[in-house]
Amino acid sequence: MTERSVIGVGTVVSGHVRGQGSLEILGRVEGDVSVTGNVVIGPEGRVRGNVNGAELRISGQVQGDLRGTLAVLLESGARVAGDISGPRVGIAPGALARGHVQTDGEPALAAARVPAPAARAFSPPAARVAPAPAPVALPAPAKAPLPPPKPAPPKPELRKPEPARAAPAAPQAEFSPVRPIKPEPRRPPPPVVPVLGKGTKAKKKKSHE
Amino acid sequence: MAGTVIGEGLTIEGDISGDEEIVIHGKLRGRLTTTDAVTVGGTAVVGADISGASLSVAGQVIGDVTASERVDIQAGGKLVGDIKAARFTIADGASFKGNVDMEV
Repeated sequence: MTERSVIGVGTVVSGHVRGQGSLEILGRVEGDVSVTGNVVIGPEGRVRGNVNGAELRISGQVQGDLRGTLAVLLESGARVAGDISGPRVGIAPGALARGHVQTDGEPALAAARVPAPAARAFSPPAARVAPAPAPVALPAPAKAPLPPPKPAPPKPELRKPEPARAAPAAPQAEFSPVRPIKPEPRRPPPPVVPVLGKGTKAKKKKSHE
Repeated sequence: MAGTVIGEGLTIEGDISGDEEIVIHGKLRGRLTTTDAVTVGGTAVVGADISGASLSVAGQVIGDVTASERVDIQAGGKLVGDIKAARFTIADGASFKGNVDMEV
């Protein structure tokens, strides 16, 4: 019995937990966890730090790397932000994971572990041979920011004709029912610009004169 | 079953805080704060200031103790540090070194 340790729901441990035996985390741990036995992180359990153990069964939240010498199993409801490695890795439906996943033995782990999360996002394809699902997901957000710059330059070109059209549009607005619909969404911005300032300026000039 | 149990083979370096019973059979270096009872088992080695409702020591504790209710040092238990508690007992065969403040 003494080999089994429990960190209760109402308990917060800020520091490292290590040793022999298995550990059940129902509360919070702010630090690394390293035990020889199994680690169970309950639905309310939260760990901010790396977790090492034989078989890791996660139902709670982990912000750090998971490494199981036997297995790492993410149950439904688990939320993991960090690398996952072990000979057996299971991610159940409903579990969330973000990071590098590797179902290999020990030797590859040292090379695969990159501490900086920023470096992970860009370097993995070259550095890592393993076809992880993470890299596939990463390029998508990287491509997303690229298209916006292209539409940006044409905007000034569109603006030039606008003032020309705007002038004739004003008289037509009173007769055609279609026109009012277009200006409506654009009307809010003009009032925000304090055009009145120009009038006041003119008044000021006149007053100065 | 206690809320938190630190097994015999386990070592914690850091602070433990909570609102439930804590039983220690392993090692702890840091600080221990709870609003409930604290039990230090025979195999435990604790180098920490302890604050709780009550404390029962069968193992080894080095650190100051503040208990809102009571502190008991069991036979074979060892405590080095100052104690502040309303009630305090030392069993025959226990060792203790420190000041006692029973809020007289």
